[in-house]
Parts: sequence; structure tokens; C-alpha cells
Amino acid sequence: MANLSEKTADELCALLDEYGVKHGPIVDSTRGLYEKKLREAMTKAKKSSPDKTYYREEEEEVVTYVTRTPVRTGPIGDSGAYMRSRPEWTEREYQNEASYSSHSRPTSDHRGRDYIDEPYTYSTPTSYKSYNLKSTPATYEDVKSPVAPLAPKSTGLVPPWFQVVFFLVVLVFLYIIFSSMESNEPMKGIE
Amino acid sequence: MSSTSQKHKNFVAEPMADKPVTALAGIGDVLGQRLEEKGFDKAYVVLGQYLVLKKEEELFNDWLKDTCGANSKQQRDCSGCLKEWCDSFL
Repeated sequence: MANLSEKTADELCALLDEYGVKHGPIVDSTRGLYEKKLREAMTKAKKSSPDKTYYREEEEEVVTYVTRTPVRTGPIGDSGAYMRSRPEWTEREYQNEASYSSHSRPTSDHRGRDYIDEPYTYSTPTSYKSYNLKSTPATYEDVKSPVAPLAPKSTGLVPPWFQVVFFLVVLVFLYIIFSSMESNEPMKGIE
Repeated sequence: MSSTSQKHKNFVAEPMADKPVTALAGIGDVLGQRLEEKGFDKAYVVLGQYLVLKKEEELFNDWLKDTCGANSKQQRDCSGCLKEWCDSFL
């Protein structure tokens, strides 16, 4: 930061215009005031920039998680509502989605964080009956493994352990329902 | 109806001529002393500063605060007084 008191009046004038500070002519009696105003404007500009980088980092984190999902399962069904939670959850949800259904809702649109919707949206797959029931056991076990490494992540809305437990409970519940729907074979039950 | 002081009314009623800086509304003995030490010994010198700051109330208030330590009420009184004087005589 150059020393403001060494700058010429014209340079100060240019700087003031740069920072958008309204000013009059720079004379002896006004110089001190304008130097002070410039310093304030400079510190304010400095403060706002670090925040932006922080925000950018946060955004990048989200992106890296999402790109992993296509590798896992082939046709990623739409998980419009499923998408809303944190990155680690989106990955698991994708796998469940692929096995259960293929909603035709755009995936990338719903990026909000709505925990309220989760319980409701889970009831919809049940109506899709036997979509890929055979694959459910495989994906179910598959799902469990990513849970552990991803669990520690948290943004503070809901405790991560609670999410994990809740999710597993829902999965177990749904699996029971599906397995009981199979009319041909006797209920395999929970193995 | 008006919330201006008697001092304000006296000042804006006529050209300031050689009135001392303490004739300005908001500027009492203490602030007047400080301004005089900085070279602003007459009201018209403070007027000069007000004009050089392009009659911007905010800038003038900041300047006044830095120069003599005026609080926000004193700043408001002084700049209001000068503004009204300018409206009538400038």
C-alpha cells in the first residue's frame, strides 16, 4: 500500500474516483480528510475479498462430490427431491434412486437443503413396485460402505450421526416393504 | 414548528461579515477554540471549507468531527446553519 500522503493531489483525486468517494478539490485543508476516507475505502475493499474466496471454496466442495455419482451407477434416475441434502447424502441417494425408479425430474435443479421433504419423497418409490428389486440387496449393501467415510462431514444443520441412523432405518423399512410385496416367492424376509 | 435554535436564526438572518466562528450554530466555546487553533478563526473561513467540500453535508460533518471533535448533533447544527445561509445569500 503506497503512502497516501506522498501522492500528488491528482493521484489522490484518481484514487477517490476509483473507490467511488465523492469529493471536492484537494487543497491543504481537505487533504487530510480525503486521505482518511481513502484508507477507510481501501480497508473495506480488502475485507470483502477474502469472503469471496471462502465462498468459492465451499462451492467447489459441493461440485467434487456430485461428479463422483455417475461413475457408480449407470442410469441415474432423477432424484429431484433427493438431491437437496449435503454431498455425502446425494451419493447414497443416487444409488437408491437408480435401483428403485426413474422419476423424470431434472437432477441438477434442486440444490437446496430441504430436510423437510426427505421423509415425504421416500414414500413415492414404494408406488413403483418391482422396478429393480433384485438389485436392491446389492445396492443396499453397497450403500452402507460409503456411509462411514462420508459421515463426518457436517454443515451444522442436522447432526451427521442422526442422518446416518435415520437413513438406515428408512432403508431397512423400505426393504421390508419391498420384500413383502413379492407374491410369488415366500417372504425371504430379513436375512 | 422549526427546530432550529436562536443562534441558528440569528446567523442565517444576515450576511455573516466578520462574525467569529462561535457565531455558528453548534459551535460553542470549546469547539470554537479548537477551530481557531487550526486556523479557522472566522465564520467565513469555515464557510470556505464548507464550499470547498462542495456543500456536501456528509463530507463537511466528517471534516468537522476530525478537526474539532464535534458530535453528531453539533455537526448537524453547523452544516444546517451554513446550508441555510448559503441558500439565502450565496
